[in-house]
Amino acid sequence: MRALAAPTFRQSLAGFVVLAQKTAQTKLTYRLATLITLLSSGFAYCVFLLVWREVYRHDPHAGPLSREQMMAYLVMAFLVNSALIMNVETRFLQRVRMGLVTGDLLRPLSFVFFQMAQATGDVLVNALFAVPIYAAGLVFAGSALFPASLLAAVLGALSLVLAFFIAFSVSYLLVQASFVLQSGYGIFFARAALHQVFSGLTAPLVMFPQSLRRVAEWLPFRCEIETPVRLWLGHAELGDAPRLLAEQAAWGVGLFVTGELVFRAVMRHHQVQGG
Amino acid sequence: MDTAILAESLGKTYTRRKRADGFWAGLRAYFSFESETVAAVSDLSFRIERGESVGLIGENGAGKSTTVKMLTGILVPTHGRVETLGVVPARERRKLAQSMGVVFGQKPQILWDIPARESFRLLKVMYAVPDDVFRFTYHEAVERLELGDFLDTPVRLLSLGQRMRCDLAASLLHAPAVAFLDEPTIGLDVLVKERVREHLIEMRRRFGTTIVLTTHDLKDITATCERLLVLDRGRLLYDGSREGFEQRFAVGRTLVVALEHEADAPTRRALEAELSSEEVTFVWDTPHRLRVECARSASAPRVTASVLEHLRVADLSVQGAELDAIVTRLYRSGKAAAE
Ligand SMILES: Nc1ncnc2c1ncn2[C@@H]1O[C@H](COP(=O)(O)OP(=O)(O)OP(=O)(O)O)[C@@H](O)[C@H]1O
Ligand SMILES: [Mg+2]
Repeated sequence: MRALAAPTFRQSLAGFVVLAQKTAQTKLTYRLATLITLLSSGFAYCVFLLVWREVYRHDPHAGPLSREQMMAYLVMAFLVNSALIMNVETRFLQRVRMGLVTGDLLRPLSFVFFQMAQATGDVLVNALFAVPIYAAGLVFAGSALFPASLLAAVLGALSLVLAFFIAFSVSYLLVQASFVLQSGYGIFFARAALHQVFSGLTAPLVMFPQSLRRVAEWLPFRCEIETPVRLWLGHAELGDAPRLLAEQAAWGVGLFVTGELVFRAVMRHHQVQGG
Repeated sequence: MDTAILAESLGKTYTRRKRADGFWAGLRAYFSFESETVAAVSDLSFRIERGESVGLIGENGAGKSTTVKMLTGILVPTHGRVETLGVVPARERRKLAQSMGVVFGQKPQILWDIPARESFRLLKVMYAVPDDVFRFTYHEAVERLELGDFLDTPVRLLSLGQRMRCDLAASLLHAPAVAFLDEPTIGLDVLVKERVREHLIEMRRRFGTTIVLTTHDLKDITATCERLLVLDRGRLLYDGSREGFEQRFAVGRTLVVALEHEADAPTRRALEAELSSEEVTFVWDTPHRLRVECARSASAPRVTASVLEHLRVADLSVQGAELDAIVTRLYRSGKAAAE
């Protein structure tokens, strides 16, 4: 009998790319929903920026960052955050509910890359929206929004890719948890809350009280937003860059591997909805 | 011949959390880890050769889908061993996926928000389907299953039957060596069912596809499968040829006769006397309607000939020889035995 051959790397890569494309296309069919989400959170964020501007008007030395630095940081944090919004969990939960995950398990693309390809599709669409956000940000932060140097831009971009990898791996791990719990909205809300606080979305972590900062250091979330933003804007010392990137990579790989191990364990036990 | 699927003492026991009625009982159950087990499939052994087409039938809850899930690697068996195309499915899922097509009639696999045509293209790349194979499978599916009118409509807007056809087409695009079809004809109209059967036959003719088909429409089986696996409450009740099944479980046939004229008493007596050597029972529903219940030993041709000779027959039919009737009776007797 002809032995079965595993799909080649090239095939997997081609599958990954085309699945990402189709996901992006799907997401574009729901562009109105995406736009509304973005506009409403963008509006809230503008108000937030205006409040900070007011704070700095009263006291130009309100924090360790200058007014321009602060504005640039907040705009970039918002931009990175909206660029990395992926629907890994919601998509997955919907499919679990309907008992459709079975289909994803029966593809020649491994489950984790199947999910990652879809997440990539999400991010591709987000990237389209990043342009207007950046343009709008210029109104608040002006030239402070530009990368500190060409090197800073490269490091920031690299860091952003790693941030994507971390954000995806966190989602993937949580997806496994929801496999076990059968319904996992609870853990997703918990993650969202922790992310809000500890990623540096609302303020750079240097502004946090000591105790909270210490907690943040033990969590991966700051690597998702604060690290790429600081590298891009040059708020981090260039000498620190290798350490920051290595830290991101370590979190990414660690979470990814953990997710994959949990997935294997889950697959040995999980039960598919009847039908 | 090569073995496509091998199952040895295969079993699956589901564990489920004990549920309770009412709020307080429910609350208590929430904090307890009590569970109950359901043996969905037990001690299943069979071997399917490459190129065979096998119908898997059984009542609701008999364990058909559970079996298919174990054969495809979605579920890990609790007992026994399974091999599909020479690999343990749950362990080498990706390898197997490349040569396997699966339809779960209840669960659309195809992407929801984009038109089927684009999903097909996606699958072509994902499965690295060679151009010549794809040209054949794609056209065969589009023509045979008449997908042309809705290939460019997002799948979520399709009717159940249209979506099912796309799903079936999608599962066979890469000309898999083995296809598991769990209720692929659910929700299809009679004509489309016919098309689906033709499609399966054509794919098999062209690629020698091994087919495992689960269905509640036994005409699907009659049209496409030579072999039957019959499950009864998780156990294998029958494994063999379709004809063998019909012979073994058919208890007899009934000749239903509608008469042009009322038959008078002497005519009836003459007929009954002539057939006295056969194991038959005459039931006169009305003076115009006769049922002759023939035991398995009775010769249907002889009975029919006598009836035609003695009576003025307006219409005549034989019932009970079809797979449908046999299976109905089998399920019913199974129920009776269980009670
Ligand atoms: N995830 C599950 N957890 C617990 N029990 C299950 C689960 N899935 C199926 N069962 C039970 O296992 C038995 C077999 O189910 P299965 O879905 O295999 O039946 P089936 O033969 O496919 O039936 P149908 O014709 O209705 O599709 C049923 O009694 C069902 O209730
Ligand atoms: Mg079923």
